[in-house]
Amino acid sequence: QLVEPCGYIYPEFPVVQRGSNFTATCVLKEKCLQVYSVNATYIVWKTNHVAVPKEQVTVINRTASSVTFTDVVFQNVQLTCNILSFGQIEQNVYGITILSGYPPDIPTNLSCIVNEGKNMLCQLDPGRETYLETNYTLKSEWATEKFPDCRTKHGTSSCMMGYTPIYFVNIEVWVEAENALGNVSSEPINFDPVDKVKPSPPHNLSVTNSEELSSILKLAWVNSGLDSILRLKSDIQYRTKDASTWIQVPLEDTVSPRTSFTVQDLKPFTEYVFRIRSIKENGKGYWSDWSEEASGTTYEDRPSKAPSFWYKVNANHPQEYRSARLIWKTLPLSEANGKILDYEVVLTQSKSVSQTYTVNGTELIVNLTNNRYVASLAARNVVGKSPATVLTIPGSHFKASHPVVDLKAFPKDNLLWVEWTPPSKPVNKYILEWCVLSENSPCIPDWQQEDGTVNRTHLRGSLLESKCYLITVTPVFPGGPGSPESMKAYLKQAAPSKGPTVRTKKVGKNEAVLEWDHLPVDVQNGFIRNYSISYRTSVGKEMVVRVDSSHTEYTLSSLSSDTLYMVHMAAYTEEGGKDGPEFTFTTLKFAQGEIEAIVVPVCLAFLLTTLLGVLFCFNKRDLIKKHIWPNVPDPSKSHIAQWSPHTPPRHNFNSKDQMYSDANFTDVSVVEIEANNKKPCPDDLKSLDLFKKEKISTEGHSSGIGGSSCMSSSRPSISSSEENESAQSTASTVQYSTVVHSGYRHQVPSVQVFSRSESTQPLLDSEERPEDLQLVDSVDSGDEILPRQQYFKQSCSQPGASPDVSHFGRSSQVPSGSEEDFVRLKQQQVSDHISEPYGSEQRRLFQEGSVADALGTGTDGQIERFESVGMETAMDEDISKSYLPQTVRQGGYMPQ
Amino acid sequence: WAKRGCSSSSPKLLSQLKSQANITGNTASLLEPYILHQNLNTLTLRAACTEHPVAFPSEDMLRQLSKPDFLSTVHATLGRVWHQLGAFRQQFPKIQDFPELERARQNIQGIRNNVYCMARLLHPPLEIPEPTQADSGTSRPTTTAPGIFQIKIDSCRFLWGYHRFMGSVGRVFEEWGDGSRRSRR
Repeated sequence: QLVEPCGYIYPEFPVVQRGSNFTATCVLKEKCLQVYSVNATYIVWKTNHVAVPKEQVTVINRTASSVTFTDVVFQNVQLTCNILSFGQIEQNVYGITILSGYPPDIPTNLSCIVNEGKNMLCQLDPGRETYLETNYTLKSEWATEKFPDCRTKHGTSSCMMGYTPIYFVNIEVWVEAENALGNVSSEPINFDPVDKVKPSPPHNLSVTNSEELSSILKLAWVNSGLDSILRLKSDIQYRTKDASTWIQVPLEDTVSPRTSFTVQDLKPFTEYVFRIRSIKENGKGYWSDWSEEASGTTYEDRPSKAPSFWYKVNANHPQEYRSARLIWKTLPLSEANGKILDYEVVLTQSKSVSQTYTVNGTELIVNLTNNRYVASLAARNVVGKSPATVLTIPGSHFKASHPVVDLKAFPKDNLLWVEWTPPSKPVNKYILEWCVLSENSPCIPDWQQEDGTVNRTHLRGSLLESKCYLITVTPVFPGGPGSPESMKAYLKQAAPSKGPTVRTKKVGKNEAVLEWDHLPVDVQNGFIRNYSISYRTSVGKEMVVRVDSSHTEYTLSSLSSDTLYMVHMAAYTEEGGKDGPEFTFTTLKFAQGEIEAIVVPVCLAFLLTTLLGVLFCFNKRDLIKKHIWPNVPDPSKSHIAQWSPHTPPRHNFNSKDQMYSDANFTDVSVVEIEANNKKPCPDDLKSLDLFKKEKISTEGHSSGIGGSSCMSSSRPSISSSEENESAQSTASTVQYSTVVHSGYRHQVPSVQVFSRSESTQPLLDSEERPEDLQLVDSVDSGDEILPRQQYFKQSCSQPGASPDVSHFGRSSQVPSGSEEDFVRLKQQQVSDHISEPYGSEQRRLFQEGSVADALGTGTDGQIERFESVGMETAMDEDISKSYLPQTVRQGGYMPQ
Repeated sequence: WAKRGCSSSSPKLLSQLKSQANITGNTASLLEPYILHQNLNTLTLRAACTEHPVAFPSEDMLRQLSKPDFLSTVHATLGRVWHQLGAFRQQFPKIQDFPELERARQNIQGIRNNVYCMARLLHPPLEIPEPTQADSGTSRPTTTAPGIFQIKIDSCRFLWGYHRFMGSVGRVFEEWGDGSRRSRR
């Protein structure tokens, strides 16, 4: 026996409409009040084990307590009434479940369908969710009869009636919806079930063709059973076997009830697929499902078009013939109109000569002469032949012309389109050829033919993306093909699959020349629009330079010297770019030629300085030598030269006497110095050189003054051989004389008395002329040459000798460089002296005077001349500026 | 509720009645299946079915009736047929073996419903007698128990009469539509 509860909750099975208020009351039994010492104030309300706030609780009396919920929104709640027995222990008294929801909406959109052979199915829209168990009952009736109700299954909104509807009798159907909160009925619908019928699909559909007409197919089918009581119209659709879209036969053509139909305007030898459905003739009700598909093929017809026809000539054969490969395309099924049995090719060289070939394939290789041919091609099927296509194969010397212009190729809608402007000449047709450009595989062309009226088409081949296609368009004229025109295009470009590899061509201090190769066409994947060169140092910001795609090198400038640079290139198509490998290089520390620019001038400067120093030293070598290596004569080896002015015959001047028979050379003093092995004194050498020249100029008639106190060796080479002989012959009878050396070097010559001496030891200058030591000291070193020069001039002023000009000229002919320079320098000094106060006129006068003195005077003249020599010392400074004729002053020496 | 299911359109009702008469007047809807099912498909037997038809109101008589009377006659006759076809069910232990029978009974009810509705549309409405218990569909007891073959022949004759009657009704309804005859009262 169940335990009797201490109380109850009312209402016991509440269903509350959402949004409304609800009140429940708990009534305790009297006996429980006493047993548990409680009253209504001890009641505790709980919803789903949670105490209800006291504000919602009302104590009605000693035994009853109520709880109120406003604006109920909860769905299902357990409400319990509990008491605190003995004021402490909570005990459950009773519990209920509160259901909440909405009353049913009025069902709408009620509709029914009568599937042929099945019961009627009705659908409805129940409206808002009620959250409660709601029954939807479809009711139906005639005017005279009710039909069984149909109750929807839980969660569905349709119901299959339990009876087969009777056609041509109106039936009324409505829906009654009911739940705990109410019930409603929908608006009834009244209809004849035959207007809601969905026939069964037609069946046994068959398709047959007609040999008479290749453009028709006959359909036959069996309609549904409704055909006996209803008039049905049909809907026929068809498509070719490979097509996906259906072609609709106009409904007007099939509106009348029928079980067969002939479809017209079909393509020959084409398989078609058909389907059919039906509906009540007036269009009320539902279309039946489509019947099963049935297919049929139209009968063959003769090919409607000629095949595309082209040729290729291989000229690599001997000259008397050429190999021609005639090629054509198989006709598409839509043009073949049947199974092509073979092709008929007729080659005509002239009107009378033709040859017919029957070919099963799509090419024919024939050998042609160099003449012009006309080839015609026709395809044959079981019904007949296609129209012939004619192609002119020009002679081997034919020159193609008239190409298409403005050829363009571009992708569009995933097709590669080609567009061109026709040539001015009427065109029979165009031949489009294309192939994939690749460095790894040969160009295998595909081709297609377009009518002469077409100037825009797309390539009907299997084209690949990211491949470069070389497209050629050739117009074909009645007389033969025109010039082809080509261009490259991509169906779809992509970023290059490899980037360019950059390298340095030349690296400088602040610049680097980068170079790279064009990407192979196989990796370009598109037209390279530009390159980008990115370069950076290890710590610097990356710099990017864009370079035109036509370039293969680029110069990076403004680089830092002696710096490592990292550079890489990317090639870009319109779809993106691809980086190449990174390359590093280091700029130079010095620019090219920079070191040379520093070192060479420095070296040159050093060399120049050295050279100048050497020249200076060479120029001043006497001074240097004088200071560093004073010339100390060796007294032990000195000797006195023999002076024999009055014994010319002894000196064997025969030749001179012969040459200058009119001249008086008896006054020439000859100093003979015995040769020794010592080196000549430079001064003597100079004077000796000049003397030598003078001697040459006078053709050996000058005297051979060679003796010098510092000259330790004899100088026989100065004189002619005759002189040498005479000098040698007189060596045994040397006469000592005053050393000439002192006489012409800045010293005032004193009257010297030549004495004969047997000694070979030359006298020291100071020893000979102690008084000259002072003069030597007082003479400026820079003028030391002038008296000597003057001396030579005087010596050379002889009748018959060359004038001064020739003297100077000859001086320039001295072969030795050093000697020449030296002599030139001396001459320059002389020239300077001449040109200074008196000019050339004075010099001329001087020279003329000298010559006059030399030629016009006899012994007196001789004396005068030597006097002028003697004036040298007194007029030291003046002499250096003037070459005026001078007289021998008192105290000068004269040859004895 | 009786008025609730009727069509409010007289032409529609007339069209439906014509269609129903055409369907039920066709022997293919019931007689032919019956003949096939009962093995009566011989010329002799077919002739036996058609030579002595069961008495149904003749077409001439129907034409002479006013519309209400015509409708009333049709309604009553079809009620009798409906009951008779119900009696035929006894010939078929499995009703599924002869579904045309039940379909014919349903159609008869539909025609009667449309006749009722048509009568309701006429002014004033005519009284359509409700089916009596005697017309509940059970066959009337005969004085002599005929043999099965005779029952089949009788049934065949009845069905033939029924189809012919419905053909006559249909033709009468056809005359209603073209207005060639004035409406009779």
